[in-house]
Amino acid sequence: MSEKIMPESEKITPIREKILANIRVQRYTPGKDKSPYFDNFKMEVETGMTILEVLRHIKNTQDSSLTFRAFCRSAICGSCAVKVNSDSVLACSTQLMPILKDFGKGSVTITPMSNMPIIRDLVVDIDPVIEKLAKMHPYLVENRERVPKALEQESLMSQKELEKFNVMTDCILCAACYSACSSVKTDSNYAGPLTIVKAYRYSADPRDNFSSMRIQAAMDQGLWSCVQCRKCIKVCPKDIRPADSIRNMRQISIEVGIHDTPGSRRARAYTDDVENFGQVNKPMLPVIVNGTKGWAAIEAAEAGLKKHGMEPTRQVCTLPGQKVTAKIYAKVREIEAKEKNQGENKV
Amino acid sequence: MLTYDVLIVGSGGAGLYAALESRMEEDVQVAVLTKVYPTRSHTGAAQGGVNAALANVDSTDSWEEHWFDTVKGSDYLADQDSAELLCREAPQVIREMEHWGCPFDRTKEGKIAQRPFGGASKTRACYAADKIGHVMLHTLYEQGLRHGVDYFNEWVTLSLLHNGQRCLGVNALDARTGKLHTIQAKAVILATGGYGRIYWNRTSNAYGNTGDGTAIAYRAGLPLKDMEFVQFHPTGLRRTGILMSEGARGEGAYLLNGWGERFMTRYAPEKMELGPRDLISRAIETEVRQGRGGPEDEVFLDLTHLGAKRIMERLPQIRQLCIDFEGVDPIEEPIPIKPTAHYSMGGIHTDINGLTSIEGIYAAGEAGCVSVHGANRLGGNSLLDILVFGRRAGVHALEYARKTDFLPMPKNVLKMAQSCINGLMEGDSKESLADIRRDMANLMADKAGIYRDETGLTEAVNKLEELKERYKKLRVQDKSKVFNTELVAGLELGNMLDLAEIVVKGALSRQESRGAHYREDFQYRDDDNWLKHTIATKGTDGKPVLSFKPVTITNFQPEARTY
Repeated sequence: MSEKIMPESEKITPIREKILANIRVQRYTPGKDKSPYFDNFKMEVETGMTILEVLRHIKNTQDSSLTFRAFCRSAICGSCAVKVNSDSVLACSTQLMPILKDFGKGSVTITPMSNMPIIRDLVVDIDPVIEKLAKMHPYLVENRERVPKALEQESLMSQKELEKFNVMTDCILCAACYSACSSVKTDSNYAGPLTIVKAYRYSADPRDNFSSMRIQAAMDQGLWSCVQCRKCIKVCPKDIRPADSIRNMRQISIEVGIHDTPGSRRARAYTDDVENFGQVNKPMLPVIVNGTKGWAAIEAAEAGLKKHGMEPTRQVCTLPGQKVTAKIYAKVREIEAKEKNQGENKV
Repeated sequence: MLTYDVLIVGSGGAGLYAALESRMEEDVQVAVLTKVYPTRSHTGAAQGGVNAALANVDSTDSWEEHWFDTVKGSDYLADQDSAELLCREAPQVIREMEHWGCPFDRTKEGKIAQRPFGGASKTRACYAADKIGHVMLHTLYEQGLRHGVDYFNEWVTLSLLHNGQRCLGVNALDARTGKLHTIQAKAVILATGGYGRIYWNRTSNAYGNTGDGTAIAYRAGLPLKDMEFVQFHPTGLRRTGILMSEGARGEGAYLLNGWGERFMTRYAPEKMELGPRDLISRAIETEVRQGRGGPEDEVFLDLTHLGAKRIMERLPQIRQLCIDFEGVDPIEEPIPIKPTAHYSMGGIHTDINGLTSIEGIYAAGEAGCVSVHGANRLGGNSLLDILVFGRRAGVHALEYARKTDFLPMPKNVLKMAQSCINGLMEGDSKESLADIRRDMANLMADKAGIYRDETGLTEAVNKLEELKERYKKLRVQDKSKVFNTELVAGLELGNMLDLAEIVVKGALSRQESRGAHYREDFQYRDDDNWLKHTIATKGTDGKPVLSFKPVTITNFQPEARTY
């Protein structure tokens, strides 16, 4: 083998910075600690280090009782989701150096995910999430018009049909969206983004035959509770846009004729009112959405207005712009009909 | 006491397929015991594809050609009857996965799409973008939910129970509570994956691929097979061992040593960076050993000359991996890489139904060894192995469970498990388990990795004995019962040390080079003396005893393995 000596200038010298950092980690062991507290670990952080490497370094060299989950360390298993400076992220795919530099403080705070009970330190109990998921019928139930019984044949499905739900199959059940969800925060019975993603994934699969059961399951678990704050979209490490799936699932539920839910009544009221009046009939919305229960809310609102010397009204006036909005509606319907026709022709 | 007809240990593709298959008619009780959550198993990390001669893209493909590719890829150490089954049944299991909803990519005709793969003579690998393992794993898990498979998540299996002839069940630790349990089962299927973590940070494997089921089987007296064969992938990221796929080299990436030389000119002047995996791994190792590595014994995969545009267009995912996991943007600078232990060919010795030497005890997937991969696994065959043999084990275990009764469980079976845990909690050493683990990994990478020879392997045998002595004195510092990850890591280390010893002894005894096993002192394949499987059994002195078993050759006479 030749031992050619290369000129010094061609030698590869990677730039690897080192910073002495303060890693602030929330700790809590039930039965031992009364409440969560923070530990500060000092360590040298090198370019390339992920949050997970830092946690492992601390566990291996400073405190072997530091408890967190990790498995694949390549962002496909979803074990290591934690909060870093309050954002839900995967520890394994989050570089620390840019964070330390961004804040210029050489410090970072790592806490467990929210909306789930803490088991220990950074480990939270995801079983409640899995239980909600299991109720969604998150599996394919064969549509026998599409799926052959014999193993000698495949079901035929176009790439276009696949693309309808393909991105949702990227979900790794890390629960970062669940941690960030503002609806779960206020209502712990709400199913949470990822479970509806899975429900929608199968409902959009042409090989499946169980959509109606899944819609019912989603409604039972608060399909209309989502406020579309889109935090789930922001935190999802796989960019699967859970809030979009929730919206799509709602749309399916309306399309199959389920109009007797508060959410679908609200959606209907908004679209119809804007077409008819150019604005939403807000004073009457509580009754339209919630039925007779809504009167209490209306009366309370009216009492409030009167107190401030204003005369409440239950009428909605038609705005001058209504004609324009009605035209937009007509145009949208025209385009939708056209697209539908084209779609049918293609099939 | 918990009782199940069929109990599966491990929740990757093999375990979940076995569980589903045995629960399909919902007439027996089936549970999966897993130290993670099922969807987190390492099957999910498989990106490329799964082989099946569907002939959807190349209509001339046949299972017979797949069979030949598999046998050739194995360097003729695969049992040809087993490899035949693997390839014959491949189209069926792929279609079954498809019928359960697995989102394979599609051809224009709407059939399952296939792509070319290294070592395959035809376009045969079925895929789903770069996430085939992930979608297979989720599909199996979800169908398991549908059919009423019970999942015990974050339970660590400690030992296998049998009476010398028949299976009794397992002992396991519920990591959440720290409680020990005996689970009675007519049949147990071990599907715990590979043991690549014996090389610790120099592996593409998940943290938990510590060969638990294989080690537990070995300690329960079951024979292991061909453990010395561990496949290395040439291009893992420096820090984590995460794979940089061959796609980068396919696009024209250079391999540079620390001096900036395209060193493949010395090893494969024609194929250069596109040479076979094992040759490139050895070339990298040689550069580093001869002092031409980078500052941390790495070499570099250089894409910079391709330009930002081409990198963004053709290799966006590879670029993102480098940024997320290594903090390096390959548009700006070369990617530091090291060869990384990737796949364990060896495992628990089984027949074609996954059955071991004990009635009712089965193994499947990377934990087992039928053997279909022989000395070197063909790309796209690992996912196929878990489907075909996971299914076969599930079917066989179900039939067995239907026709047998539970055996009475002897008293005090938990005692051994308890004393094993107590031993770890009450050792008198001040050493941390991370130190022992690191020393084991360095030893394995240096002496029993890509290059092996008698001197190094003999040294490794002795050093491993020292490491085992250090391990015996180990003291787990964390005393909590709740989610004690240090204790679990301690148990895993014990498993890895047992397996490392068998890998090293097998490698020392095998005086030839074959597939992934490369001996500097015996550089050629020796079919006259070594066309046979290595069988390792635990001896009465606690050390592995080796014996050998002929390879089954039915159709293809060994030839030189050239591509």
